[in-house]
Parts: sequence; C-alpha cells; structure tokens
Amino acid sequence: MTASRRLLPWLLLTPALLIFAGLTLYPLGRTLALSLFATDYGFENAKFVGLENFRELWDSRFFRQAVTNTVLFTVVSTVLEVAAGLGLALLLDRAFPGRTLVMTLLLAPFVLSTMVVTAIWRAWFHFDLGFLNNLLRAIGLPGVPWLFDPNLALWSIVLVDVWQTAPFAFLIIFAGLRLIPQDVYEAARVDGAGPWRRFRDMTLPLLAPYLFVAALLRSVDSFKLFDKVYAMTGGGPGQATETVSMFVYRQGFRFFDIGLASAAAVVMIAVAGLLAVVYAASLLKGAGR
Amino acid sequence: MRTMGKALGAVLMLAGLVLPAAAQDRLVIAGRDAGFAPALAKMVELYQAKNPNVKIERLELGGGPLYERLAVGAREKTAATDVAMLDDIWAPEFMARGWLTDLDTVGGLPGEFVKSAIDVSKHNGKLYAAPFVGNIAMFAYRKDLLAKHGFERPKTWSDVVKAAQVIQDKEQGVSGLVFRGIKGNPIVTSFLPVLWAHGGEVVSADGKAVLDTPAAEKALTQFLSFKPLAPKGVETYNATELRDAVQQGRAAIAVEMWSSWAGTLDGSASKVANQVEVVATPGEVKGPAPMLGAWLLAIPADSPNKARAADFIRFVTSPENQKLIALETGNPPTLAALFNDKDLVAKYRWYPAQLEALNVAQARPRISQWARVETILGDYLQLALIGQMPPKQALTEANAQIARALSR
Repeated sequence: MTASRRLLPWLLLTPALLIFAGLTLYPLGRTLALSLFATDYGFENAKFVGLENFRELWDSRFFRQAVTNTVLFTVVSTVLEVAAGLGLALLLDRAFPGRTLVMTLLLAPFVLSTMVVTAIWRAWFHFDLGFLNNLLRAIGLPGVPWLFDPNLALWSIVLVDVWQTAPFAFLIIFAGLRLIPQDVYEAARVDGAGPWRRFRDMTLPLLAPYLFVAALLRSVDSFKLFDKVYAMTGGGPGQATETVSMFVYRQGFRFFDIGLASAAAVVMIAVAGLLAVVYAASLLKGAGR
Repeated sequence: MRTMGKALGAVLMLAGLVLPAAAQDRLVIAGRDAGFAPALAKMVELYQAKNPNVKIERLELGGGPLYERLAVGAREKTAATDVAMLDDIWAPEFMARGWLTDLDTVGGLPGEFVKSAIDVSKHNGKLYAAPFVGNIAMFAYRKDLLAKHGFERPKTWSDVVKAAQVIQDKEQGVSGLVFRGIKGNPIVTSFLPVLWAHGGEVVSADGKAVLDTPAAEKALTQFLSFKPLAPKGVETYNATELRDAVQQGRAAIAVEMWSSWAGTLDGSASKVANQVEVVATPGEVKGPAPMLGAWLLAIPADSPNKARAADFIRFVTSPENQKLIALETGNPPTLAALFNDKDLVAKYRWYPAQLEALNVAQARPRISQWARVETILGDYLQLALIGQMPPKQALTEANAQIARALSR
C-alpha cells in the first residue's frame, strides 16, 4: 500500500474529526477545566480552587435533590415509555380497520414541539379549569393538584413525557416486531405454545435488542430533562421537579457561577457517558466484534 | 494565482458592499414580553413612522431570557443590542460592571422623573438608564366585600388576615386573598413588603445577610398564614393567575398588585369593575413599605448605534409618549407630573395614590448579586410555603446561602 493510499482515509476523515474536536472535545475539555476554577465567566479573573466546586455540589441539598429527581425521572419514564411502546407495537402489529389512522394519531404527540406539548398539558393540569380535573369531577372524584403537590409534580411531568415520547419507543419496537419471521410463531403454535408462552419465550427474547436500544436512547434523553420542567413547573414546587440540567442552567446563566455549573455538568457528562458506554458496548457485542 | 487574485478582489468588493450596510442606521431593542410588550411595540411603530430609514428590530423576551441575553451579550461584547430594557434590580450589576453607557455622554435625558425611579438609574452620580415604567407593588382589595363584612381599608398585615378569613368563611367561591407563590422572583416580591413591614431585611446597608432574625421569622410565619386563605394551587400562581383571580371575583384581596397589572381592573373583561381599591401596601410594626419595581431603558456600552438609541429613549420618555403608553397599554409613567394628569387620573383613579407610594417607595437591595440572592430566598420561601421546611430553618439556611453568595 502506498503512503498516499494509507493517508487517504485520514484525509477523508479529517473534516469530521475537526468538527468532532471543535464541537465536542473542546467544549468538554473546557468544561472540565472550568470545573476546577471559581469564575463568573471564562478563565479571565478565574481562581483555581481544585475540587472545591465538587465538594460544594456534594454539600448542596438542592443538587442532591436534583440528582435524585433526575435519576427517578429517568428510570420511571424510560420503563413506562418502553412498556407503553411495546404494548402499542403488539396492538398495532395485527391488522384491523383504521389501523393507519390510529398509528397517525399515536405519532402526533411525538412530532409536536415540547413547548406546544407543555402548553397543552399545563392547561389540562389546571386545578380549577383543567380538562383532567373536570373529567374527574364529572365522575364524582375530587380534583388532583397535578403540578403543585410536591409528591405528585414529578410524576405529572413523567406522564407528559410518556405521552409525548412513548411513540418513539413504539417506532423502534414496532420495526423490530415486523422483522420477526412469522414461521417461528407457526412452529410454536404447532408445538402447542399458547399466546403468553409465545410472547414470553419468543417475542420478548427476539425483541430484546430493540427494547434495549429504545431504553438506552430514551434514558439518555430523559437524563437531560430540562424543557418540560422549565416550561411547566420551573423546578418547583419547592425542589420537587428540579433536575440536574435545571441546576446547571441556573448556576450558569442566572448566577454566572460558571465553575459550579461546570462541575455539575461534569457530573452529568459522567453519568450520560456511562450510559453511552453501555450502549456502545452492547452494539459492538451485538455486531459480534 | 490569477484566479486567486480575482477571488480576493471579489471578496474585497463584497466587503466594500457589506461594510457600509453594517454601519447603516439601525436599532436592536431587547424588551420584555407580556404586558410590557405593547408599550414598546407602540413606541417602535411611532418612531419608525417618524424615521422611516431606520431599520428597527424589536425582541420580546421573558424576564429570565432577557437578563441572560443582556448579561451574556455584555460579557461577550457582542454589540447585539442597542436599547436594553432592564429590571431595576439588574441595574446595579450592569452599572457597576461598566456594561451601560453614561446617558450624559449621548445627549442626556430631559424630564422630571419620579425620584425613586431616577435614583435606581444612577451609579456614582452618573445616569446610566432612563426610567421607563413606573411600576410599584400596590395592594388591592374588594371595597364592596370588605364593607359588607364591616372592614375598612386594612392598615396592617394582621388586619388583612382577619378580613380575608371572614370573607373566605362567609363568601361562597371567594378566597380571602391571593398572592404569587411560584418560586423565584414572584414569591420574593410577595414576601418582601411583609418582611419590611415587620422591620426585617434580607441584606443590611453594609451588604451583610441579615435574614435570620426574629422579625424575619414573624414575617415569614405571617406570610405562611396567607396560604390557607388563598386559592388552591397558589404555589404555582404568577401574575396571570393572580390577576385572573381578582378580575373574576375569585379573591377578595391581592397581597400585591403591580400598577402595570391594575390597568385592566376596570376593563370590560373584569367582573369587579370599580369595586377594587388599589392602595399602598399595609404596614405592621413599621409603616407601609411599597416596593419599587421600575423598568428602565439603557444603552449597552458596546452598542454601535448609541446616538440613535439615545434618540429613541428620549422619544419614549417624552411626556406625550409616556402618557400615550399609559393610556393605551396601562403601563404607568415615570414622569411625576403625569400621575396628576386629568386624562390619566380619569382612567386610572389610583394614580395620585401611586405617586405618593412612588415617592416613599423602597427599592430592593442595590447589590450586584441580587439576582442570585433573590433566587436563593425564593427557593427557601417556597420550601416553607409547601410545608417541606419550618420557617426558622428556611430563613437560617437561606441566610447562610445568601451570605455565601454575597462573599463571592
């Protein structure tokens, strides 16, 4: 192989590598460096404080609460979205009149912008005038303080997230379901396997890679939760819906405590990175490499 | 080489075309949304009609995003804004950091402004901003309901609680009072007049955190006693919800009624037209301490169009335009004489009382860290409001956090 042929792949990769370095590696490195400084913006007038920002995060009840909320939200919303996606995929896997219409309606929330979704749900959640409480009152039940009960507000946001993004999980799982050969089921039927057994021992194992991908993509996205909280509760009541992203935003853009915000961002990156590693390892394993 | 030369020539020609365009007469105005937006929109419309060659871009932003745009722009020297609308609580930071233009260097600002509003526009004797909206936290009550149950205008916050309790008990579907309970700036501005009336402070005159005092604890305990008298969900109430509750007759007393909200109280959408009295806030152990909440117009130090920006600001703050803004949009003026203007008083009967309140108005602490202090206080006030933290603990922890913020 000539030198020019050896260099060609690198030459072709250079634009992508430069973009990756400029847009990913540089901000990551800068954030990591800033997390070791007390600064109200960049490195100008910054004071090196070592791990002091991380110690402050650890001591902060608001950060601990934000981490707890974020983890809770990520786990619960991911499980519910994948479960709902699976249920919908199984329902829509069989032909019935109006299936195309149902599928279109089902996908509608996913194509709406989050700001539109939150505006709709804020109106639905209104205690006195909201659609949900009016529905409850119509059947003789009391109204529910969806967004102002600190024990309920986070779960209300989970509900909105599931409503909007379960269709995404559905799309992935549905695609996987359509790829399972029907003759496998035929053989199982001949062997006397009932519907539950076929689901448990055939559908689920064959869908596992798709469920895994849906869960990982949703969990990475859920971990970054910001917009729904910002638009619906602002992190309240109290700290009930505060997330790590909200914490970073407030420290960085409201207080310009860039060192502390960077430290919190580093914690976020570490957790999201861990999820990404699991995802990448699983993909490589699946590809047999 | 010849091709390269041609390309360079083309670039230079294009630059020659572009450079004069960049220096064209233009204005980028960054202002607030919601009730403030129509005022600036009207002024832009009129100014544009008089100056058709000026290219004007008006941005409409919420309070938080506006602060972020202006603060980040100033730090990065983006020269992206020519006229900035500032909350008076942001002004100390912007003025102290040298982010604003001294208005006297661009032709000055004529007009007799309300003293409290012009005071917050100055730093070290220099005028860095023009008072634009003379907002002040007033207090509103249903005079018909209070009279019906034998109450006069409440003089103290204790009177407020008594009247609200009786009305709530006896009037079906009417809450005793309403306030803004959502965390951040709203809950803090609801609480501060109560704190001040009890003789408490957040930050002392010498810049120390002084929130863990018996006076502050009494104030917070009293503030928390408002919650059972307020509509369910008051923890999430902001300006819109408060105004709706009053205008729809669902609340008898508004703990705070900013004058810019009061403009619609007698309007056709109101079910309680002419029944709501707007007055200065009550006192308690101290006299009333109405809170100033003025909005200012300023020119960022890096604006490339300072002369044009100054001209626009003088246009907006002229007597005829301040009057027009008040009449058409309900945003109160900042020129003292207009509070006794007969047309304005005919429309807004509380303007003379508002001028009195403005003359004794108390500004929030003039410290550059106020945005952070306010957020910390708002967080802890809400924890107390939703019952997740006792008042004393909330104040002690908030005080420690505020002290730390002030030391940075």
